[in-house]
Amino acid sequence: MLALTDFLMLGAILFSLSVAGIFLNRKNVIILLMCIELMLLAVNINFVAFSHFHGDTVGQVFVFFILTVAAAEAAIGLAILVVLFRNRRTINVEDLDTLKG
Amino acid sequence: MTFELFVFYVFAAILVFAATMVITRKNPVHSALFLVLAFFTSAAIWLLAEAEFLAIVLVLVYVGAVMVLFLFVVMMLDIDIATMRAGFVKNLPLAILIAIAMVIEIFLVIGSGSFSLDQFAAPLPLPADYNNTASLGNILYTEYMYPFEVAAVILLVAIIAAIGLTMRKRPESKYQDPSKQVRVKKGEDRITVLKMDAED
Amino acid sequence: MDLLMSLWEWLGENLVVVQILIKIVIIVAPLMLCVAYFTYAERKIIGYMQVRIGPNRVGPKGWLQPIADAVKLMFKEIIIPSGANKTLFLIAPVLTLGPALAAWAVFPFGDGLVLSNINAGLLYLIALTSVGVYGVIISGWASNSKYAFLGAMRSAAQIVSYEIAMGFALVGVLVAAGSLNLGEIVRAQEGEGGLFNWFWLPLFPLFLIYFVSGVAETNRAPFDVAEGESEIVAGFHVEYSGMPFAVFFLGEYANMILISALTSLLFLGGWLSPFNGWPLLGPMFDWVPGIVWLFIKTAFVGFFFLWLRATFPRYRYDQIMRLGWKVFIPITIVWIMVVGLAVVFEMPWWFD
Repeated sequence: MLALTDFLMLGAILFSLSVAGIFLNRKNVIILLMCIELMLLAVNINFVAFSHFHGDTVGQVFVFFILTVAAAEAAIGLAILVVLFRNRRTINVEDLDTLKG
Repeated sequence: MTFELFVFYVFAAILVFAATMVITRKNPVHSALFLVLAFFTSAAIWLLAEAEFLAIVLVLVYVGAVMVLFLFVVMMLDIDIATMRAGFVKNLPLAILIAIAMVIEIFLVIGSGSFSLDQFAAPLPLPADYNNTASLGNILYTEYMYPFEVAAVILLVAIIAAIGLTMRKRPESKYQDPSKQVRVKKGEDRITVLKMDAED
Repeated sequence: MDLLMSLWEWLGENLVVVQILIKIVIIVAPLMLCVAYFTYAERKIIGYMQVRIGPNRVGPKGWLQPIADAVKLMFKEIIIPSGANKTLFLIAPVLTLGPALAAWAVFPFGDGLVLSNINAGLLYLIALTSVGVYGVIISGWASNSKYAFLGAMRSAAQIVSYEIAMGFALVGVLVAAGSLNLGEIVRAQEGEGGLFNWFWLPLFPLFLIYFVSGVAETNRAPFDVAEGESEIVAGFHVEYSGMPFAVFFLGEYANMILISALTSLLFLGGWLSPFNGWPLLGPMFDWVPGIVWLFIKTAFVGFFFLWLRATFPRYRYDQIMRLGWKVFIPITIVWIMVVGLAVVFEMPWWFD
């Protein structure tokens, strides 16, 4: 039978993978954004699984809100990226050092 | 092994594979496409958890809109892939170490039996007239009305912010104003009759 | 016959997967035939509109033309450009055709005659139509060609924009019917007034917007800037030849049939008879099976696709965007409110 543990383990693996992804691709802003999406997905899997096993819809309501906020975040993140590329011709995180104190 | 469990493992394997590809591929377009695959398979997994509304919404919002936006940006920007990958090999051991440490830590918690089937029994099959969309709507529009509206406002702010950030006036490019074009009169706006003296 | 029925029941009990596969074949095979003959119909109809007779050499009156085309395309060489990404290049056509076929899973052909009667049918359809963009984007990118890429970018932006108007039009239907289940939506249009009970009347602006967005969504003329022969050669599928091209072609026509069928389902009463409940004509047409009505309605809407193509010149790109964002979306939002009020106050005829 499908147990709650299965879902949670899947979420954990996915979350760890996206953390590793942030370490690996820390120069590329686009992949960083993708890793964040992946993290939110891992969290959402946990929410859905708990909602299923508790028989409570509230967990799904939370997923709904996370989806909304994540969509907004992706839209603004990509907009910033486009503006950044337009001004600096690069999206390398290491080149973004004009803001010095 | 039941059929349900088998399906779950197949989709979980695809999901983990897709996620690995997202973080290791050289080309960001491939990463984005593997992320699409990841969203698709997790929608299937949510269907197994009887969250059909959210599964379809995940495909609709993420696969249909957010990832298209990602692909658009990735394809349009001229990214120098070589410099982006510079630290990849150097960071690889650390990344693997941290990922494995995190997985082990989380597994120690969730694998301890406190989330197993005898703690959380498999939920009873839902009645035939159960409607996931309706039950979600009932709770969303009553108890969670204010958060729902706040979410709507967040989306509005995101729309305005995204447009405001990327819009720019480009005086060098020429635009037509359709309403101006429509308002053109037949006589005076199109032809001007000039009076000229006859030349010898 | 009895043997067949008992075999069918045995399949349902023991090998559900096989039974479902047989059902899928029963749906898809005639659909592919329809797609083939839709191309024939297009060439004939546009031919007559332009005062010529269209294909007339292969078979009697050219009836075998689609078959000949298919055979020709199958035997052509598949050319893969040297700089192309091979896997993505070959996956892209499948991604165009796949969603167009998968959408039929929730499509009710008659009362209860549906492969999968899910609650969130309408939502499933919106999700699948939004997945269709990927075929275009991937093909444009994987071809490694400027023309293909331009076409893909144009088409992706266009599809994403019109999807919103389309989604809002569907929200209107959902509010009017009070259900996401497609069968329920058709049943909500049943009434004594026959065709005046269908949703096209109370939702007339949404009906028009849904259909026009559907035309834009399938990249058909006058919204075919993604292909625009005179501007960017053939857009996203310039580099395709042989069978992959044929699959793109099939996908486009399957999408057109899908949009026509959905328009007739959501706004034109699906399998319901247009004379339902009328004093004289109603009983006269009672014997016609629902699926025939559905077919007639789909063909009627499909004819509009061809008519539009023969009539209008191509839109300019900025005008397409303006129409989608500044005209369609505001109208749909206003009309959703109108429909909402009509439902709340139980306006007679449709919502009482």
